[in-house]
Amino acid sequence: MSLIARYLEENGIPTVVMGCAKDIVEQCGVPRFLFSDFPLGNAAGKPNDPGSQEFTLDLALRVLETAVGPRTTVQSPLRWNEDSLWKIDFSNVEQMSEEELQKRREAFDEVKRVAAKQRQEAGLKVSAAE
Amino acid sequence: MTEQEAALGFAAPHDMPVPYIHRITSYYLALGYGNPYRWAQYADVPFTPLKKPLSESRLALVTTAGPYQNDKGDQGPGAAYNASAKFYKVYSGETDKEHDLRISHLGYDRKYTTAEDINTYFPLGQLHKAAEAGRIGEVAPRFHGSPTNRSQVTTIEQDCRDILARVREDEADAAVIVAN
Repeated sequence: MSLIARYLEENGIPTVVMGCAKDIVEQCGVPRFLFSDFPLGNAAGKPNDPGSQEFTLDLALRVLETAVGPRTTVQSPLRWNEDSLWKIDFSNVEQMSEEELQKRREAFDEVKRVAAKQRQEAGLKVSAAE
Repeated sequence: MTEQEAALGFAAPHDMPVPYIHRITSYYLALGYGNPYRWAQYADVPFTPLKKPLSESRLALVTTAGPYQNDKGDQGPGAAYNASAKFYKVYSGETDKEHDLRISHLGYDRKYTTAEDINTYFPLGQLHKAAEAGRIGEVAPRFHGSPTNRSQVTTIEQDCRDILARVREDEADAAVIVAN
């Protein structure tokens, strides 16, 4: 999504990115970024919490209208919860047993197989249509 | 945390933004995939100022969420990663209609999030409220969905162009882009 922000901006469309992966967005480099320090999947606010969702969009709009230059990141003051223990768990190999890793290896092989099949099917459909 | 750190009011050591690039790279190395993904990285970043106040601007919404497809297996809430629910071309939907968009094809945090509430990843409802309140001029007639599965070359040469063309067709003044 960061690439889209950059492309639109290069072509005269101002943008704001709403996201939860600070390092990934900032490494790419975007004009304006509202960072919510929440688990991935909640860039627009907390689930079943309309107040947090409206606040988050409004903050993104404020970033859109007030940023003075590129790489403007604003971090939302909202917190997911008090202990923030969710931050320790995501894809953290230091927290996983060998048995868990083996299960994940097998699951990942399956995901790759499905994705490759999908791509092939999508490719075939495209060439048939052309 | 030491007593001194607590007395200073420091946060817990883990309470900082998650280092996703490091985590994911280490994760795939541990799974035996030795060719780590190279996330995009640029030294220069473009910037276009707003041309008019937001209260007079038409805003486009860009999402990575995809339409629910009833023949593509479990897409949530709470679904495992579902590669078959991916899509491969930019799509658009009318913003004056309800949409059932899901994120089961994306790597969101499945331990702490079920994706049961579309408003956490697709803020169309919030945008409409902002328009009703006069905070923005209006919501553009369509939102745009971007594929996430392809190479960065495809994203830039195909998907970015498609989205720019559609944003221009809709005469949007600015775009809100939601990552997942």
